Amino acid sequence: MHKVLIIDDSEINLTLIRALVLKLGECEPVMFDHPLKALEWCRGNVPDLVIVDYMMPEMDGLRFIAAFRALHGRTEIPVLMITANDQKDVRYEALLGGANDFLTKPIDRIEFSARVRNMLALRTGQKFLADRAAHLADEVAERTRDIRERERELIFRISRAAEFRDPETGAHIQRMAHYSEIIARGLDLDAATCNLILQAAPLHDVGKIGIRDHILLKPGKLSPQEFDIMKQHAMLGYDLLKDSGSEILQAGAEIARSHHEKYDGSGYPRGLKGSAIPLFGRIVAVADVFDALTSERPYKKAWALDDAMRFLEEGRSTHFDPLCVESFIAGWDEALEVRQRFRDEEAPKI
Amino acid sequence: MNPFVLDKPAILERLGGDEGIFAMMVDMFLTELDNNRQALLTALAGDSAALQREAHTIKGLLATFSDGFGAELAQTLEYQAKNGQVDDARGRVDMLLARVDEVAEVLRGLSAG
Repeated sequence: MHKVLIIDDSEINLTLIRALVLKLGECEPVMFDHPLKALEWCRGNVPDLVIVDYMMPEMDGLRFIAAFRALHGRTEIPVLMITANDQKDVRYEALLGGANDFLTKPIDRIEFSARVRNMLALRTGQKFLADRAAHLADEVAERTRDIRERERELIFRISRAAEFRDPETGAHIQRMAHYSEIIARGLDLDAATCNLILQAAPLHDVGKIGIRDHILLKPGKLSPQEFDIMKQHAMLGYDLLKDSGSEILQAGAEIARSHHEKYDGSGYPRGLKGSAIPLFGRIVAVADVFDALTSERPYKKAWALDDAMRFLEEGRSTHFDPLCVESFIAGWDEALEVRQRFRDEEAPKI
Repeated sequence: MNPFVLDKPAILERLGGDEGIFAMMVDMFLTELDNNRQALLTALAGDSAALQREAHTIKGLLATFSDGFGAELAQTLEYQAKNGQVDDARGRVDMLLARVDEVAEVLRGLSAG
């Protein structure tokens, strides 16, 4: 149903135009005998076609068209202006001023029907294109969501591939990623950054893929030489992920390289100190160590939570960024919920 | 003065042969007659812009009934008012009202018949 707005100060013209519009079918005429009242209606309603008389008291058709076009989203709506057949100059002005076409008085039904139909066809085309554009935008958004979701899944699976070769578990990845996100939030990082670290933290140990089994899976203590090889996983992870076009993989590269740095400069691989260590690395260091301490492994029992917390506190400014430790302790209750949610024995399937 | 002769076939042709719409237009013309007469007289006493507008309205009404002569009378008044030439407007208004009455008379006869 097309909404056809008719504005004419003459009652007889309104009645005639209404009758002709109704004859066309599929049209709902909305009539006003005053342009200002019509404008008021237009603020809350969008007509499919405007038929406006030129000569009206207080506001003529040209001024009405200008005011109508100035309303948000009304620039494309077809407008027909009615002029007397001797008003050629007005017709030109109307066309220049935003009318799409004009009707001459006295109104001729054949001419009227043809012009109104043309304008409504134009409007139908506009609506079709707008719907199509909106539909395509929705579709792109949906596909983009799918791709992002797949990217996240792939990253998680890559992370797990590394962890499969290690005593660590899928639940460890989930927990340390969520701990990282809690710390990031506590540091007042924006929501997108907090989400980024949640997605990228699982990649911290991806470089372990490149460490030989006899070292990676060695049950006993590593010799200094073996430990040196083990340490290479940080740079291996970085090399694997660096220069990616994906923001998550870029962040993952940085985390892989920096999560074993220590605040006092005694960490590896680069021995960076304090704020020279990338922030994501400082955050993940706290999250990763806390989870390693509080998880049971074939070679060790899980630490008590209090002991693990004390370890973090004692490591402030030596091992860890004190702000990251504070932020983690401030989010302690949330961290316990994460620990409860991702337990080793019932790690959620992916 | 040219007497008004109703050219119903020409009007009907413009209205797409719709007798219903034609009858409605006749009714409305007669219903609005007094208002339009009064508006023109009020405008005569008022400013030239009002006179121009009312003459324009009557021009439209007469043209609707294919009254070329009457529409031209109204148009002359409209243009004169537009240009501020209102000295002999009274005479033109009287002529125009007489024409409107004449058309109304014919239309009345139509609905009575």
